[in-house]
Amino acid sequence: MDLIVREVSHRYGELRALEAVSLAVRAGETLALIGPSGCGKSTLLGIMGGLLQPSEGEVLTSGPLPEGCLNPFTYIFQDFALLPWRTVEGNVSLALEHHGLGAGERAERVASALALCGLAEFAHAFPKQLSGGMRQRVGIARAIVVRPALLFLDEPLSALDAQTRELLMEDLLAIWARERTTSIYVTHNLQEAVRLADRICVLSRRPGRVKEIVGVEVPREERANAEHARALAELQSRLWDLIRDEAAVADREMQNA
Amino acid sequence: MRATLTALGALLALALAGGQVQSQTKEKVSIAALPFVSSSPIFIAKELGYFDAEGLDLEIKIFNAAQPVAVATASGDTDFGITGLTGGFYNLAGKGALKIIAAQSREEPGYDFVAYVANPKAHEAGLRKPADLAGKTVGITTVGSTFHYNLGKLAEKHGFKLDSITLKPLQSIPNMSAALKGQQVDAILITANNAYQLEKEGAGKIIGWVHQETPWQLGALFTSTRMVEGRRATVEKFVRAYLKGTAAYAEAYLQKDASGKRVFGKKAEDLYPIQQKWVKPEPQPQTVLASANFIDPQGRLLVKDIYDQVAWYQAQGLVDKDVDPRKFLDLSFVQGHMQVPQN
Amino acid sequence: MPETRPVPFRGGGFNPAGWRWASWIAFAAIIAAWQLSSSSGLLPALFMPSPLAVLEALARLVETGALTRHLAASLQRIALGWAVGTLGGLAIGTAMGIFAVARSIGLPVTSALFPIPKIALLPLLILWFGIGEPSKVATIALGVLFPTIISTYTAIDGVPRNLIRMGQSFGLPAAMIVWKILLPGALPGILSGFRISSSIALILVVAAEMIGAEHGIGAFILAAGNLMQTDQLVAGVVLLSLLGLAVSFGLSRLERWLLRWR
Repeated sequence: MDLIVREVSHRYGELRALEAVSLAVRAGETLALIGPSGCGKSTLLGIMGGLLQPSEGEVLTSGPLPEGCLNPFTYIFQDFALLPWRTVEGNVSLALEHHGLGAGERAERVASALALCGLAEFAHAFPKQLSGGMRQRVGIARAIVVRPALLFLDEPLSALDAQTRELLMEDLLAIWARERTTSIYVTHNLQEAVRLADRICVLSRRPGRVKEIVGVEVPREERANAEHARALAELQSRLWDLIRDEAAVADREMQNA
Repeated sequence: MRATLTALGALLALALAGGQVQSQTKEKVSIAALPFVSSSPIFIAKELGYFDAEGLDLEIKIFNAAQPVAVATASGDTDFGITGLTGGFYNLAGKGALKIIAAQSREEPGYDFVAYVANPKAHEAGLRKPADLAGKTVGITTVGSTFHYNLGKLAEKHGFKLDSITLKPLQSIPNMSAALKGQQVDAILITANNAYQLEKEGAGKIIGWVHQETPWQLGALFTSTRMVEGRRATVEKFVRAYLKGTAAYAEAYLQKDASGKRVFGKKAEDLYPIQQKWVKPEPQPQTVLASANFIDPQGRLLVKDIYDQVAWYQAQGLVDKDVDPRKFLDLSFVQGHMQVPQN
Repeated sequence: MPETRPVPFRGGGFNPAGWRWASWIAFAAIIAAWQLSSSSGLLPALFMPSPLAVLEALARLVETGALTRHLAASLQRIALGWAVGTLGGLAIGTAMGIFAVARSIGLPVTSALFPIPKIALLPLLILWFGIGEPSKVATIALGVLFPTIISTYTAIDGVPRNLIRMGQSFGLPAAMIVWKILLPGALPGILSGFRISSSIALILVVAAEMIGAEHGIGAFILAAGNLMQTDQLVAGVVLLSLLGLAVSFGLSRLERWLLRWR
């Protein structure tokens, strides 16, 4: 399913967070949103998925829902947002419980999502028993169990250490390769963006505007290969050039100023 | 400068000497009492100077419940106490700290004090006299109170079981009035002036008086065992002054005419300011007269009745078995106690 | 080789770990000292009964069967009053945790009514509910209601907002968000509120049984007080604190089971 953002602006009181943002996400692609901190990346993601009402502008979709889709706009959260009193299985099943599926079908769907994320043997564990990486895998399993049309990832790996991040990136790539879910991926980590995205949308500092949209030419499945390392590094440094000055200014800005 | 100092010193010496003279002539004593008309022999004796005449400087400490009066006397906070005799009193006295030395209130035929008051509905349904209380619900203050005892004696007299009455302990007189008005109970026991008030409001019917059913020794003057043993002369002086108070009280409030009707004359009027000063809440003259119950003019106790009371409370399991009236009665301060058991 | 010195150790301490027997030993020591001062006459029976006398009073209660009668009467009142107050408190507290209107009304009303001693309301409660069981249950229920309201809505406030956002992002209906996210998330706070409210229920049983109660631990304590039977009075108080210990133990077990995910 395509997602079209048209002239979206957003204000928090006097503070202008987004200014006339327009962009389109094509079915099946992964779009990374990067920009200096406080540029409104997360705000834009909230608006795109219908969790925030934009002050101006509109967000539209086009194209058919994927088969068996229960929750078209689905999020994966930075802090995982797991219910600590539910087991892994229970957390994943939460997303299905209000859809009137039979118990059998629900269990089947949960089991296959858990298997896909390598969580099968942790089904009855509580979140506190899991590492950060495993917890985020639960968040991913919960998202894919509803077969989303659009997947919104809000800095999903930034609460994790570097090694875990590597492992999860591989998992995400494997899942996307299978499910072909349209995804919008907010990150402040350029390496993640270059590794995972088909296109990278660079936002300016506050109020956030689309500064440039950069395509990544190297096919995703080949990006880990050594031969592409140089091209990807160059892309990463080009992105850094785009946001560096503004990042420095943003860094010196007072909170809520 | 020096002259001033000398003068000051002289003044100080004089003041000290004066104080000495005062305390030499008057001995300080204290009594714990409730601010009721039934305590008024004490108030009268103080205000008319009977204690002064005995060389006693009396301080009256006012309490708002019978229990603390006994506790204060037992613990030595006050030298004397005067109040009603309850199960709690006997348990405390049984521990050896108290001595009963003279009488206070008594339920005496012809003198209204505690009434049986029925709620009008129950009255209509046939609750006409105290004997009808069998099987009814009756409000009292607390378990082991004088009201509880009255009902026990009533049951004995009319040959029904006290168990057949459902007792509702309601802690306070206002609660009891409220329960009667709300028809939560069939009847309550309550003092005369409250009973008249309830009848006037149409909230209750007086169906009888305790003095008609079971006359008994309701209250007493008591002191601590320490006082009797250590300051016997003081106790004697105190009782003498108290008895002048009871005599004055009797002359004012306990007179009857030839037909047996109670009459109150000028003497009652004369004593009104004293009642006004001490009785709380401040009473109307009418209230004083309605509340003036019988107090033996010579302070004589109905001794056998006290034995009976203890035995009754013990039978109910409300007073410890080892409490012995002989040990807390000291009959040597008042002459002519009545119905003294001969063992 | 230059001279070496060990690095001085400066950590340690400030880490009170429970010592299992300490509380029992302290308890036994206090009772022993109490008995000793009683039997030596240092503590006159007039002012404080000896532990043995209290034990005898308790034994008498068991022998006569009065204990079961008093316990049954009080437990019934406590259980019913606590249940009514808790259900009401949960409902009102949850509403205050969710709806702005409920909070704006509930907060000042709760603040105004919470500090009123329920004993002061007894005459009113008698007028409304009579002197039978309803007024006793109402006294306890009222005492339990307000702390439950407060602990419930603060517990709901404490549920991380991102969990609610998560629920919305998966399209959970509002009722499901309350039932599956807010209430379980608030459960730890609600359960610790139960500790307070159950203690209050025990405290109030004495007040509740001031009015027209023939049986019950509170009525027993009051009667013992009026009769100056200090051994029975202390025996009744011991019963109440044993009851408190039992309730606290039960709540701990309940907490451990319900909050095993923590």
